[in-house]
Amino acid sequence: MIKNYFKIFLKVALQNKLFTFLSLFGISLTIMFVMIFSMTISKITTGSGPEKDLKDVVFCDRIKTKQTIKGKANNGYSVSSCGRRVSETYLKKTKSADIVSMYTGAMPWEFILDGKYQKRAQNQTDAEYWELFDYKFLSGRPYTYEEVTNGANLAVITKSLKELFFGNEENVLGKIIHYTSLDLIITGVVEDPSKSAQNAVGDLYFPYTLLKNTEAPDDYMGGFTLAFKGKDTKQFKAISDETHEMIARLDAADTSRAIFLSGPLTQLGKMMRGYGDPEEYSKGSTLFKFLLFALAFILLPAVNLMALNFARIHERGEEIAVRKSFGAASRVLRSQFLFENILMTLTGGVIGIILSFLVVDLLGNSLSLNVNYFSNVPLTFSFNYLVFAASLIACLIFGLLSGYLPAIRLSRMKPALYLKGGEL
Amino acid sequence: MIKLEKISKVYRTREIETLALDNINFYVKEGEFISVMGPSGCGKSTLLNIIGLLDEPDNGKIELDNLPVTSYEDKKTARMRNQLVGFIFQSFHLIKELNVYDNVELPLIYRNMPASERKLRVTESLEKVGLTNRMSHYPSQLSGGQCQRAAIARAVSGNPKIILADEPTGNLDSKIGHEVVSILADLNSKGTTIVMVTHDDMLAKSTHRIVRLFDGRLVG
Repeated sequence: MIKNYFKIFLKVALQNKLFTFLSLFGISLTIMFVMIFSMTISKITTGSGPEKDLKDVVFCDRIKTKQTIKGKANNGYSVSSCGRRVSETYLKKTKSADIVSMYTGAMPWEFILDGKYQKRAQNQTDAEYWELFDYKFLSGRPYTYEEVTNGANLAVITKSLKELFFGNEENVLGKIIHYTSLDLIITGVVEDPSKSAQNAVGDLYFPYTLLKNTEAPDDYMGGFTLAFKGKDTKQFKAISDETHEMIARLDAADTSRAIFLSGPLTQLGKMMRGYGDPEEYSKGSTLFKFLLFALAFILLPAVNLMALNFARIHERGEEIAVRKSFGAASRVLRSQFLFENILMTLTGGVIGIILSFLVVDLLGNSLSLNVNYFSNVPLTFSFNYLVFAASLIACLIFGLLSGYLPAIRLSRMKPALYLKGGEL
Repeated sequence: MIKLEKISKVYRTREIETLALDNINFYVKEGEFISVMGPSGCGKSTLLNIIGLLDEPDNGKIELDNLPVTSYEDKKTARMRNQLVGFIFQSFHLIKELNVYDNVELPLIYRNMPASERKLRVTESLEKVGLTNRMSHYPSQLSGGQCQRAAIARAVSGNPKIILADEPTGNLDSKIGHEVVSILADLNSKGTTIVMVTHDDMLAKSTHRIVRLFDGRLVG
């Protein structure tokens, strides 16, 4: 029976090329966009290199303050990364997490070397940073807790930075690298982190304590991100409770400002929140909006296909009537029509996947992701089984959505009307 | 074999009601070959559709092969059509996307029959109508007579006890028409009950009995 359905599908598809093109066009484009979108998300959220194991890590990277007049907040507010003092004195001391690290993330570092302008990233970190992120040390070691506390002039550099400064020189440990007015002694060389990384980024790493804290004593804003690692995700709630309790205490003590800490959030959570007002962010409503948008996006080609299917019902009337005459029950006819429709959407899906591959391959560099200030990561096609499965499921949903109602209408048709031109 | 009692059927649209069958009693014995005649619009096709369970009467009772049709539940009527009845239409109604073999196989695929048995039955049916050399042809590659022979092969492939033929020669010239009727007569001689709608007196006379319809009533 399947063979019979398949033959019909092929014949019908080939006979009415315009319909086939219109059906496949919408599905293929949608699947292509879904694939490229999923690849983008996957590229950012699936950690690689030092970020490969972030499933038990949450981040606090946004803090908001609002000026208050007599205890009542007005409309003006500021949002920034966490300040050094609030990070060092409070958040870093979170007991619910196994490891807490503070770091600036990628910060600009521009310099002239051998007469050439260079743009690199520096990252000011604590010692825990090297525990939390799994950098591969090619030589040397990271700076220690004591060295950070003492503000030692030490640095860890990436392999590419080593090659930039020292060429093919093998051992650069103990050598000096200049960062603004600082002379930093190289203690370690690491493999370059992934360009798509969002936290473990930078070419030059040194203890944040090396630079003087220029924050005002009552400032909460600065350039730090806090990363909290637990044994598992169950610890996230305790981490959240504790950090918010700390901030609540600060908030209560400060009569001039209201303080709000965003997070702790997972890597994906950070992305979903974006850079808007963190107090307005609600995971539920963002997810809801996203799903609503995704549903509308997916529904469009399904509705298009459904409309085409309805328009073609009469074209299939004779065949359906004949099948009914020879013993096909309505359920069997619905299955046949759905089968054909799903085959059509799967074909569209396969074309969409191939198109996404071609688009990424041909335009990958133009489609680069601006994942952080320094990394424009070209989008590359990486075959992700999860995305592939999701695309196939999307095709099945298309097939079912666009085929079900027309299939019901089709299976309920009166065969007598189609078998003798409606004569009584 | 076929028993219709007090069957009525009215077609309604918003503007008009058309009485297609008016309180008809209709009986066909096992092994009979009968012709149904009457002017266009008198209810012949409606009668055939009701016998073939393609349409539901407004009133009355139906028995096919001594089995009363108590409900028109889709699954039940589909099974009865598949097991008991074979249809032959004036316009052949072969599925144009399928070749002759696949068209003839159609009733069998709804029986969950093993492929080997289906193949045997299809070949036998095509042999009966002399079309084994055209089994891979598509309907568009056949003449009218060949199409109708393929349609007969499809109607008989499931070995139905009843064949309902709605003007099977209407689109054929008289020579081919007679050939088609002789195939039907041959099937009848082997025990198949046949009800044939026709406008052709000559063909009708070659059957066992003629039933005439006028304005939805049996007149003879």
